[in-house]
Amino acid sequence: MGEVIVITSGKGGVGKTTTTANLGAGLSKLDKKVAVIDTDLGLRNLDVVMGLENLIVYNLVDVIEGTCRLKQALIRDKRYENLYLLPSAQTKDKTAISPGQMKKLTSELREEFDYILLDCPAGIEQGFMNAIAGADRAIIVTTPEVSAIRDADRIIGLLESNQLKKKELIINRIRMDMVKRGDMMTVDDVTEILSIPLIGALPDDEQVVIGTNQGEPVIGLDSKAGTAYMNICKRITGLDVPFMELQSNSGFLSKLSGLFKKD
Amino acid sequence: MLRKSSVSIAKDRIKALIISDRVHCTPDAYENICRELYSSLSKYMELTEDDFRVDINRTQVIITFAGEEA
Repeated sequence: MGEVIVITSGKGGVGKTTTTANLGAGLSKLDKKVAVIDTDLGLRNLDVVMGLENLIVYNLVDVIEGTCRLKQALIRDKRYENLYLLPSAQTKDKTAISPGQMKKLTSELREEFDYILLDCPAGIEQGFMNAIAGADRAIIVTTPEVSAIRDADRIIGLLESNQLKKKELIINRIRMDMVKRGDMMTVDDVTEILSIPLIGALPDDEQVVIGTNQGEPVIGLDSKAGTAYMNICKRITGLDVPFMELQSNSGFLSKLSGLFKKD
Repeated sequence: MLRKSSVSIAKDRIKALIISDRVHCTPDAYENICRELYSSLSKYMELTEDDFRVDINRTQVIITFAGEEA
């Protein structure tokens, strides 16, 4: 019986889709059978981040309306064994499906998959309600910014009033050089404000942009963010993985090389 | 450095925002809540302003004061 996890944030642009893609790829690397679902109707993105945009035939709305069978709409990611994508519809609006229909779909997927990851749309309207309807667990993505934290807090409150108890936090795009200068909130600051358990902290890593350009999850590349995502995946499966030290660019080695550059 | 770090400004702002979001009130309402709670409670118990604190989370209003240990 699989677990349904919604990846949500409230605010847009904090890294929900990238996180969903990478957690999906990472969990499949841990030999789990994973389905990732893009629930953002009208603004399809997860397929592009994963590099599967050319393989779409059917989508989420087709499955719900019964135009096709579930198996026909699931796209298999050839690079990762046991990773499947259910893409969103680009043409339908967000009222095309209901929370009840999502619940039914996720319960069907539970039979077949170990993990079902739902990429939630930004906002707190129907798209959000659809995405959380069938979820057992929520991962809230935020960045160390006032607006993103504020929205995350709203989302946590809404999840609580919808009886979703298991909530964990990912803090994305941390810049240690700025943290050291006192110009960016620390992981501890953000965790304390939102008061839910931390499941991962991700450095602001260029490799994520490069990965997205190529349609390749960063988890497959040798990078700090890739390692951090992999650690989150292990924690999702219940392993106790220590949090890695986020290194700033002005670390010992770069300081040392800077020393030699001076004349 | 003389300037106030931008993090401490951010933390003050986010804390005020979150409280007003959680209790659906204006940011300065929190100050008033604290003041009024302090003045009501101080009628019945000995309080000092330094030790008196009001925290509002998603489901609770928590009043902290340094009284005698029970």
